[in-house]
Amino acid sequence: MSVASRLAWRLFRHEARRGELTIILFAIVLSVAAVLSLSLFSERLQEALTAKSAEFIAADRVLDSRNEKANPAWLEKAQSLGLQTASQNYTSSMAFAGENMQLVDVRAASEGFPLKGKIKIADEPFSPGEETATLPAANEAWVNSRLFQDLGITLGDSIEVGDARFTVTKALISVPDEGFSLFSTNPKVLIRKSAFADAGISGPGSRVTYSYFFTGDEAQLEEFYDWLRPQLNREVHRWQSVNDDDSAVGRSVNRAGQYFLLASLLAIVLACVSIGVAAQRYSQRHYDPVAIFKTLGASQAMVQKIYLLQISFISVAGILLGLVLGFGFQQAVVWALQNRIEVSLDIWHVRPVLIAIFTGAVCAVLFSLYPLLKLFSVPPLRVLRRDLGANMSARVIQYLAAASAIWLLMWAYSGNVKISAILFASGVLLVAVLMVVTMLLIRLGRKLGQGRMGAWQLAWARISRRAMDNSVQLISFAVTIMLLLVVLVMRNDMIKQWQDQLPQGTPNYFITNITDSQKQALENAFSAEQVTLDGFYPVVRGRFVAVNGEQVRSEVRKEKTGEEEQDGGRQQRSGLGREANLTWSDSLQTDNRIVEGQWLDTPLADGKFGVSVESGVAERLDIKLGDVLTFNIGSEVVDAEVSSLREVNWQTMQPNFFFVLEPVAMQQFMPTYISSFYLAAEDKPKLASLLRPFANVTLFDVDAQINQLRDIVDQVSAAVEFILVLVLAAGSLVLIAQVQASMDERQQELAILRTLGAKGSLIRASVLFEFLIIGAVAGLMAALANEVALGLLQRQVFDMQAQLHGEYWLLAPIVGAMIVGLLGAAGCWRLLRLNTAALLRQLI
Amino acid sequence: MIKTQQVIKKVTTSEGELQILQPISFDVKAGETIAIVGASGSGKSTLLGLLAGLDQVSGGEIYLDGEALHKMNEEQRAQLRGAKVGFIFQSFMLVQSLTALENVMLPAEIAGLDNPKQKALTILEQVGLAHRAHHYPNQLSGGEQQRVAIARAFISRPKILFADEPTGNLDAANSERVEKLLFELNREANTTLVLVTHDDELAGKCQRQLRMQAGELTEVTAVDDSSARKAV
Repeated sequence: MSVASRLAWRLFRHEARRGELTIILFAIVLSVAAVLSLSLFSERLQEALTAKSAEFIAADRVLDSRNEKANPAWLEKAQSLGLQTASQNYTSSMAFAGENMQLVDVRAASEGFPLKGKIKIADEPFSPGEETATLPAANEAWVNSRLFQDLGITLGDSIEVGDARFTVTKALISVPDEGFSLFSTNPKVLIRKSAFADAGISGPGSRVTYSYFFTGDEAQLEEFYDWLRPQLNREVHRWQSVNDDDSAVGRSVNRAGQYFLLASLLAIVLACVSIGVAAQRYSQRHYDPVAIFKTLGASQAMVQKIYLLQISFISVAGILLGLVLGFGFQQAVVWALQNRIEVSLDIWHVRPVLIAIFTGAVCAVLFSLYPLLKLFSVPPLRVLRRDLGANMSARVIQYLAAASAIWLLMWAYSGNVKISAILFASGVLLVAVLMVVTMLLIRLGRKLGQGRMGAWQLAWARISRRAMDNSVQLISFAVTIMLLLVVLVMRNDMIKQWQDQLPQGTPNYFITNITDSQKQALENAFSAEQVTLDGFYPVVRGRFVAVNGEQVRSEVRKEKTGEEEQDGGRQQRSGLGREANLTWSDSLQTDNRIVEGQWLDTPLADGKFGVSVESGVAERLDIKLGDVLTFNIGSEVVDAEVSSLREVNWQTMQPNFFFVLEPVAMQQFMPTYISSFYLAAEDKPKLASLLRPFANVTLFDVDAQINQLRDIVDQVSAAVEFILVLVLAAGSLVLIAQVQASMDERQQELAILRTLGAKGSLIRASVLFEFLIIGAVAGLMAALANEVALGLLQRQVFDMQAQLHGEYWLLAPIVGAMIVGLLGAAGCWRLLRLNTAALLRQLI
Repeated sequence: MIKTQQVIKKVTTSEGELQILQPISFDVKAGETIAIVGASGSGKSTLLGLLAGLDQVSGGEIYLDGEALHKMNEEQRAQLRGAKVGFIFQSFMLVQSLTALENVMLPAEIAGLDNPKQKALTILEQVGLAHRAHHYPNQLSGGEQQRVAIARAFISRPKILFADEPTGNLDAANSERVEKLLFELNREANTTLVLVTHDDELAGKCQRQLRMQAGELTEVTAVDDSSARKAV
């Protein structure tokens, strides 16, 4: 071992044992632990939630092929890549039972379906049902509860579909890939795929969708899709994945993912701040040893080697300890959450470990680089002239280096320029504002620090005298508080929005096909059972045929039409491709927002009828304000001018419409109505008797979907809360480290004041006031920067409405002052417990 | 052993350039002990810093054991210090996180000498601190710390020893013990000693005394020339 390595190791060993490395070691441990626990937890949770949301499409990926079967080679390729596959055919057909018949959606599933999620069945219609891992036998069918009513059958009866006869052995309560399709009014019949051909319902002229389901490793799935993509035909094939799920669940999961990413980024910044503070302190403590080494003949290279090695030892030790601590902490969170999150969190990932190691190393190297360069420049003459510090001073370079390091780390980690840029820009803004504020404070301090020396004057005098140090400290406090605020407020806003999306009492049933004459009777019957109907929406089916007289391409598809209406159906580009559900109203629906033009209550000139168009469909079909749209309704033609474009919140479980017409335009048509209501689970049995008098009315049960969504949102919220606690804990530790470091710097002054006979209470009060002032200013600045950062993040990244958070303008300074003040007082108390001689000796 | 010619030192202050050492020329022979005395701020520590190669002259020449110190860069001066120079300071300047033994070993290790530990233990024995070898500086009294510093200064058998107020932080009893030790070891090793002090009594124990006053050095006594007070 060389002299330098031996010395480095010796210094490391002794300093670690004597607790001199605590602060810097602690900072590295903290950064590694925070990054590891956050990213490991979020990755595991993300994966678990993705797996859970995969249940919504019954697999990780789905290939829908319209009217033609997929090439068998595709499935072989998928299997050869190790993917699990299953398939299902969908079509509409008539089902017969004796005299009765009903149009049904036939689903013919292969063995293995569903790859994700479970089918729920029951022995009695309209009951909650139980999960099953099996499929109906070859000559059996499981049918939706409604079909028992429609066809007047009971379990064990037979139904005919096409040429085949099936015994109904179970009520089909739900399938995972059901979707939320209000207008898909046909009950489902689930049979085995092998029985599909026997039924003879897939002949020429029939419309069959062949769906293929794939599950496996992300890498395998990607490889398969890369191979498959060039062979797909856009007109026929549609590739779906959970990640591009635009549904409420998909968005919630994506948003949560972004939140975790944000929290991890903030943890990295916190780590950088704390390592920066600690490294500076570390460097200052080693001025004397460096001067001694140089005096005793050590070359510059030897000194550099000693300290670079020592920093490496510290980093390695910090990273190892941090990994252990971070993993332990994360495991504790998983353990604490296991009862609240159904999904399994026991998936292990290497990426977060690598990220944590990388972060620890980069933070340690980049943030200690400048303090070390300073340290290396300490002249040997310091042994004679103790006032000599480092020769090098270039704070601008330090700030630039630190800023670029943080930026690079954020960007490299997130791969998301937007989030990184927003956080970074607000950080820079905060630092700039703080610089100005600090200068003002120092001026103020000069005035307030004059006169008889009380605790208050001492505090101000100190703030003013230690201008540069205080500005650094103020900035690090403010950045820490700001980051904590961002994580806290973001969590509050996000969870509130999720809860608003599905308030208690959200309608969990829809009824459609209500005739005008049934409205009153239905309302009476429901109110007699204390069930409230949420109003009636008129619906008329019509075909959208032309824009400004120019015909649009029409392609009628019946399958899943309702689903597409609900989720936006944004895959099709030419025409609407099917009949549209037209409604009319004087008032704008809740959760709809006019983005262009005027709502229908403003009549158009020349007696024209107005129509309000959903903005997404308008964009897809290239419909502009003032265009005249033509609809064929039965044998009638209706022209209407686009008077407004509407933004619709597709995340609400409410009937939404692409086209809302002016009531006067539709008065000649006989509509049917849609309504919705909320029914508690225990009241479910009432349904059958309530609906018996209204045989034509169709019931649509979205309770399962709502519960599924609520479950996911609850679980994501719980996870977000834990992440918040994690970041708050990390932030508090950083604050403690910062106060600790600054207390060391105040030690000399305290020793002198003590020696001169100042009372402990005076010193304590002056330190408390000093930290209270710094904490309050940092808190206020943090609230300001938080507002800027949050506004940008919510609008640009989280796709949320930004709002002001006035309460934090008051809360942040108070809480900042209290926390920083208390920590300062505690640190001071520790120093004052030492006697003056000990205090002075520590200084020598 | 030391030869200086017209050495000056200037520093830049906010009020312009300030010459803190007037041209100084004097020689020190090998094995000689000399004391530089003077009031605080007279420039004696500045001179010590220049002679020991801790600082760079603004003008003039310094030769240390025949080597032109004034022409050397920081690296070369460090090398020279490591090979030929020992130090004792008023504030001891021990590395706080190393034990007494490790502090003593330090120069020997840096210079790449054999058996640094054995040498350090032997010399700690000589200064009467073998039993404190594994103690940290803050566990030792001021006198003990200075004895450790003396042991450190002698371990590499330097040709020249610079001592800056070696008893300045010590009480009378400890001062006496440290002085005794210093001169004893110095004699044994035949080291050239340059000692800076404001203590005339301590200075009197050296063969020659030079007085520093406002940046000017005058010889108070001389070994081979008993005529007092000669400007150098």
